[in-house]
Amino acid sequence: MRKSIFTLILAVMTHMAMAQEKIILLNEGNWQADNGRISYFENGTVVSNQWFRDINGYKLGDTPNDIIQVNDNLIAIAINWSNIVQFIKPNGEAVAATEDVPNNRKLASDGRHVYISSYGHECGTVDGMKEFTKGYVAKIDINTFKVVAATEVGYEPEGIAYYKGHLFVANTGGYAFQEDHEYETTVSILDAETMTLVRNVDTHQINLYGKMSQSGKYLCINSPGDYYDIQAAAIIFDCDKALEGDDDCFVTLPYAATYNCTTRDGKFLAIGSRYSYYTGEYQFNYITIDPDEVMMSDGASGVEESLPGTVLEDIKKISMPYGIYVNPYTGYIYATDAGEFVSGGALYQWSPEGQLLGKHKVYINPAHFLSLPPDGHFTGIEDITSEKQDDGYMHDLHGRRVTTPQPGHIYIKNGKKVLK
Amino acid sequence: MTKTSLFKKITLCGILLCIYISHVCAQDADTHSSGIYKELADTLGSVNVYGRRPLATRQALHGKELQALSTTSIADALKYFAGVQIKDYGGLGGLKTVNVRSLGAQHVGIYIDGIRVTNAQNGTVDLGKFSLSTMETVELYNANKLDDCQSASEYASGATVYLRTRRPVNDSLSAQLRVASFGTYMAKANMQFARKGWCGFVDIEGLTSAGDYPFRYKSEFEDTIGHRDNSDIKYGRIEGALFKDGFSSHIYYYYSERGCPGGIVRRLSDKYTNVGREWDGDFFTQMSYNWQAGNHRFKVNAKYTNEYLRYCTDYPENQNTAKVNNHYRQEDIYGAACYSWRPWHWMALSASYDIRYSKLNADLKHFDTVHRTDQKQVAALQINWRGMQLAASLLHQHYKDYTQTHTGAADPLDRFTPSISLGYTLKSLTLRAWHKKIFRAPTLNDLYYTQAGNRNLKPEYTKQWNIGAEWHYSSPHWNASIQADGYINKIENRIVCLPLKGTYTWSMMNYGYTYCRGLNATGNVRHSIRDWNFSLLTSLTWQRDLDRTDPDGDIYNKPICYSPTLSYGITGIVAWRRLSLTVSDLHVSERMWSYADPEDVLKPYNNIDIKLSYLHTVAKKTDIGICLEVNDLLDEQYEHIPRYPMPGRNYKLTLSLSL
Repeated sequence: MRKSIFTLILAVMTHMAMAQEKIILLNEGNWQADNGRISYFENGTVVSNQWFRDINGYKLGDTPNDIIQVNDNLIAIAINWSNIVQFIKPNGEAVAATEDVPNNRKLASDGRHVYISSYGHECGTVDGMKEFTKGYVAKIDINTFKVVAATEVGYEPEGIAYYKGHLFVANTGGYAFQEDHEYETTVSILDAETMTLVRNVDTHQINLYGKMSQSGKYLCINSPGDYYDIQAAAIIFDCDKALEGDDDCFVTLPYAATYNCTTRDGKFLAIGSRYSYYTGEYQFNYITIDPDEVMMSDGASGVEESLPGTVLEDIKKISMPYGIYVNPYTGYIYATDAGEFVSGGALYQWSPEGQLLGKHKVYINPAHFLSLPPDGHFTGIEDITSEKQDDGYMHDLHGRRVTTPQPGHIYIKNGKKVLK
Repeated sequence: MTKTSLFKKITLCGILLCIYISHVCAQDADTHSSGIYKELADTLGSVNVYGRRPLATRQALHGKELQALSTTSIADALKYFAGVQIKDYGGLGGLKTVNVRSLGAQHVGIYIDGIRVTNAQNGTVDLGKFSLSTMETVELYNANKLDDCQSASEYASGATVYLRTRRPVNDSLSAQLRVASFGTYMAKANMQFARKGWCGFVDIEGLTSAGDYPFRYKSEFEDTIGHRDNSDIKYGRIEGALFKDGFSSHIYYYYSERGCPGGIVRRLSDKYTNVGREWDGDFFTQMSYNWQAGNHRFKVNAKYTNEYLRYCTDYPENQNTAKVNNHYRQEDIYGAACYSWRPWHWMALSASYDIRYSKLNADLKHFDTVHRTDQKQVAALQINWRGMQLAASLLHQHYKDYTQTHTGAADPLDRFTPSISLGYTLKSLTLRAWHKKIFRAPTLNDLYYTQAGNRNLKPEYTKQWNIGAEWHYSSPHWNASIQADGYINKIENRIVCLPLKGTYTWSMMNYGYTYCRGLNATGNVRHSIRDWNFSLLTSLTWQRDLDRTDPDGDIYNKPICYSPTLSYGITGIVAWRRLSLTVSDLHVSERMWSYADPEDVLKPYNNIDIKLSYLHTVAKKTDIGICLEVNDLLDEQYEHIPRYPMPGRNYKLTLSLSL
């Protein structure tokens, strides 16, 4: 009897925890098939696998590549092959869309602007069309949805993060095997306010391609190598040191971090493989990285080949891992499986301790995640003003409201940075 | 399609017709072959010869029927056959390949006068490059043709398409001019001769097309109306052939420039384009000689091929995607010797040896020239005794590559594969059964292409089993035939390009096992009375093509994407003297293009084509012809590949003159 009451209480608690789960998942679809879709997952069930279309009555576009929350009322989605940055409200309603940043890749925000990397060479700005030899980063004002500035970085810039008024951009040079230039090895640092290049940090690793995660001052950057002679690597990058001008601001790890994410305690989880076209062989790794430890030991320690609970075992059974994510509000762990290449993908959910809770059918190539705040209080886009920042709530550097601030992290409260 | 645009099209067509008629009258232009009827008689003669050898599963279009169909390329003609699926990315210059009984395009061998058209680079032959105007017969054989003196490479594909070049029987000059929808203009000239046992022709053709056809996507979630961009094509083709008795030779050059349009995706405007363009230059020359000495037959074949391909996306208007400018050059030298011996009239033994040397050059990074030698030997036996027929063959193939490419050359490939056919003929009914096992070797792209090639690939095997029956009826006014074949195909180790786990990269892999059961049936009736000729040609394909890759996977035993369950074609031809009307309807049922969502299907479609032609003799040996075609009469909007719309209703007007 006591046991069943305990089970009941556990079930209720689990349900309450589940009720806080609100996940927006981008399914990339197939390139040039115009079938990018959004899955919306809430309370342990997939509400819709065509959420954007259900709400707005039209399709999202081709190959959505990244999604971030800009502030309480605004979410930005980079739709790569449609050349569109789509803005939606957290309830899925479309607000605006711009095609000023063609071949767009990844997004970052300071809550008032959206910063976006692009492989393209043209950018439609308020001062007319700007042209670049290499790739660029554009700054979009969310009051007007116009590009107010754009700055050249390296060839084919991918991952982008906002930290202390600066943008950190991982350059890939990913078209190197087709175009007449080499792979890039640098992280470009821009002053977000002035959109000027502060410096380029040479990581000595080529092709900084893939998901880039941020944990406070640290970035986790993947380098897949060239799949021939140069092996994949993961780079842990200290933004503070980089801003101080220290060239020794990163540590290179002999692992791949193709898919990575940040945990609630400031670590990185990463899945990746090192592949060689010579042998056709892979070498998989599933790791947890403690960036403080890695930086302190210069890479000698701080990497564990483990993931919470059964996550590692479960992911090994997945036919095609395509993304990993931890809900920053609740700590629930997610991963996606792209499945058998032509079938729909799957979304896996684990408890924060790593207990598998369920597998859900989503759409083709499910890849990019965003969690909505559990309290779910949304207001209209017209409410966005600078005063909105002075709401007494803590926000993280992505402008997301934080209910459980973590020690040692920087947050924004009433427009000011605070160290918790 | 709105009523207004239909009206506009009709008006436009009418205007063009007037312009063309006046144009041609003014110029007293050239023409079409006056020898068509004589040639037809010849063709029918040869058909009867083949008719006595019904062991192979064969479908053919020849002479008048081939001309009566609304066809501009070999791909158009093949779609009238049972078991054939066309893959077409739309656009006028889009790649057209055929897939027979779901084996995959690379298992379909295309042979011009018995010599295979090859592409060492990617193994697929773009059928849009070959003209029907120089062809007398287009035949499709499942498995082997079963001639008694065949080269080894004729045994080396899962299905074989034979194109037989027309041998002229008289001297003539002819020319054709065509105007068609979407800014398409074509001119063609043919000079042929036949004297002292020699015959030959020179055929020249040029075409230009804007290819900017309208399309519409209308569903609950969109209403997209647009014109196809970057779908233009320009090509020129010149070829010649020379024949005498057992000697035949052919020389061919084709050059094209075309746009490669992408999928229709959500865009806010047409501000940014992504322009990919392709240039091809294909040259080949081939000859074949066969002779008979008593009960011995000999044949030798030789061919040289030189192909050039350039793909470029590096344009000023294309600033936002990868800038590619790659050049590929292939050379290919081929020789074959065949011998057959008929010790008794009911038995033939044959042996043949083929050798091919291929070289591929490309300015890709991490790439170096690849050389390949490909040798094949075959031993075959044919018996035809009191209505009982047997054909058996054993083929040996050996492939070896040489390259300094980063990854090194693949290991040599050495395999034996058998095939066997059995038949029994009783009066006009023939029953048959056959089995064939064959593989396709990985192509040079599969093995060595930068950032995709995998030198460890195994060959992709197909195993086919077939049972069928064929029945003929013939009387002075009536001619009818029916054939039906049931088949099972298995494909193992499919060679496909797949993303690699946890890498962001793709590679060629052996992945996939499919199991296909199907039924192909054709029925043809021809009736001629006084000045009237009637033909009814029908074909039907029913098949279940199932994925059998991973017994634990979600898609195990589900139908393969893009594979329709049912397709049929019905063609009626009515001819009165020199006036001919052809109406054809091709139907392809619904097929999935992904397993992710039940709504990921391509809609079934019916393509109705009409062709009306008239030939008028204006003077002795001088004919003028006029021909009007309407394709996709109902203006159905359909696709072979999702988001690659096919042209809807379109018109062609052709004028011809022959002397």
